[in-house]
Amino acid sequence: MNQTTTVASLPATKKRKFKLPQEFSILLVLIGIALIFEVLGWVKRDQSFLYNPQGLLIMILQVSEIGLIAVGVTMIIIAGGIDLASGSVVALSAMVASSFAQVVGYDRAIFPSLGGLPVIIPVLMGLLIGAITGFINGAVIVKMRVPAFIVTLGMMVSARGLARYYTGGQPVSMFTDDYLWIGSGSNPVIIFLAVALFFHIVLRYTRFGKSIYAIGGNVQAARVSGINVGKNLIAVYTIAGVLSGLAGVVVSARAQTGQSGMGMGYELDAIAAAVIGGTSLAGGVGRITGTVIGALILGVISSGFTFLGIDSYLQEIVKGLIIVIAVVADQFRKKRAS
Amino acid sequence: MKKFTKSIILAALLPLSAFADTKIGVSMAHFDDNFLTVLREGMSSYAKTQKDVNLQFEDARGDVGRQVSQVENFISQKVAAIVVNPADTSATKRMTEAARKAGIPIVYVNRKPDEKMGNGAAFVGSDSLVAGHLQGEYIAKKLNGKGNVVIMQGELSTDAQRDRTQGVKDIFAKFPGIKVVEEQTANFDRSQAINLMSKWISAGVKFDAVAANNDEMALGAIIAMKQAKVDPKKIVIGGVDATKDALSSMQKGELTMTVFQNAKGQGQGAIDAAIKLAKGDKSQAKDIMIPYELVTPQNMKGYLNR
Repeated sequence: MNQTTTVASLPATKKRKFKLPQEFSILLVLIGIALIFEVLGWVKRDQSFLYNPQGLLIMILQVSEIGLIAVGVTMIIIAGGIDLASGSVVALSAMVASSFAQVVGYDRAIFPSLGGLPVIIPVLMGLLIGAITGFINGAVIVKMRVPAFIVTLGMMVSARGLARYYTGGQPVSMFTDDYLWIGSGSNPVIIFLAVALFFHIVLRYTRFGKSIYAIGGNVQAARVSGINVGKNLIAVYTIAGVLSGLAGVVVSARAQTGQSGMGMGYELDAIAAAVIGGTSLAGGVGRITGTVIGALILGVISSGFTFLGIDSYLQEIVKGLIIVIAVVADQFRKKRAS
Repeated sequence: MKKFTKSIILAALLPLSAFADTKIGVSMAHFDDNFLTVLREGMSSYAKTQKDVNLQFEDARGDVGRQVSQVENFISQKVAAIVVNPADTSATKRMTEAARKAGIPIVYVNRKPDEKMGNGAAFVGSDSLVAGHLQGEYIAKKLNGKGNVVIMQGELSTDAQRDRTQGVKDIFAKFPGIKVVEEQTANFDRSQAINLMSKWISAGVKFDAVAANNDEMALGAIIAMKQAKVDPKKIVIGGVDATKDALSSMQKGELTMTVFQNAKGQGQGAIDAAIKLAKGDKSQAKDIMIPYELVTPQNMKGYLNR
């Protein structure tokens, strides 16, 4: 956990030495929530919540798929859009990737003649499915001028339907060891953090990244200043689609099964992670580092509840409250700082 | 004139086609659920063996409101019988009353409504409490009546979660040596069960058995154990459903037991009851129970191809 935040916020601190980075306040919220669980842990279980390397790994591991999606969603929201399709795209890409990842000689395989393919094929298939859905989203939004909310809502329903139709609702399992390796140990965490770091750099230091902020801040101004708005938007949606596809590969490898019900509600968790992390739904504002911290807050909350053995019925109520309180606290701090 | 003759012919044909077959409207809570898919296939394959029985399937997508309007549509179409796999077992009254008023029999399948059956309404399914009892008894026997158990619950407020959990607890209550140390939901979902079990292990929870409300969660627990270097073969792990994945895990010696819920049998039973009720068969029972079956490594071979 510490590693993430230092790695991710380094460039920010370097640039303006006299000013704390924007993510600082939300980082404090994360630490605050973790400390509350730490204290309650000693009170209720007589055991440390944070001093537990395995436990810390799991806090990130359980949000790594949502984190992957959230990286893409953050870019879309910064560009002034929204993506509701990601959870369904996770299911679709998980189903398709799984069907190409089955072992040789499994008589109930989806493609019995295609067993034991090299691992790169199912992975590429999953990413390709994500890219196609993302490209369609972007193209329809840009070319047909349909609101992103509507287009991605349509994709959310259709992609889920397609995921079910693909095998007639049957789950897909019996994967090759290479494919399973993707989801084993801390690999999902490494994939998540590598992707987050990469897109953090893209957003902050490339022309493409700056164009996205410009488009989300003011489309007209961006267009006037010579940015190809349509091309950039389609690229953003396609990238987000690829990341949802990647999340589908990771989740199926980790659960060792592909199921059409996977990724249910992930789109909302991903949007929550981005918003908690300081991304503004109005567009033009947001950072990947904030989103990573936002995802970690969701992970810490989930782990903390299980750690304390809080009644399952209460968990969702409190989770909703914490999401709103985290954002309110962040706003409050920002106001005082300015 | 032409229009008039056409409508006469149409009017003459309509009742004919209505008499020609027994049309049964089926509203399912979910189309994409694995178990419910087998149940749905059980219904349609049984309907094909029956003379002139036609099924019309609708997906309520877990929404009670949508399900009620589907049933209302069936009634206005004057179907011979209605089969409902309720989205919410506590909200079936409106559908039952509407069907009774129209004189159309209504059969609930798999999930037992909270209201009383009879008077044109019937239930076909299995008692989730029994699944819990079977699981609890086998786990207690394997533990020799002594040990720590963790319970993985399904989606909260479903009758399957409530009754299966109650069922295992009923049995464990008879053994003072058995202690339920943790009890949380993983929503019948494998990925969530991996996370839950990982968190328990990392928090140092000590357990000898896992009682999961379904197989998917039991399999998730096994995956998490292997990742944390806990040998699943040394833990008693119980699930419910006897899915293909669960049976192949049992073959490897990891999953200890599961319970077979006869989805196909429930589907057949529901259509059978609907046809009988539509024909006015008064002898039809109100609650038709399809028994649960205990599946262990000893008898699992018989379930591999079911």
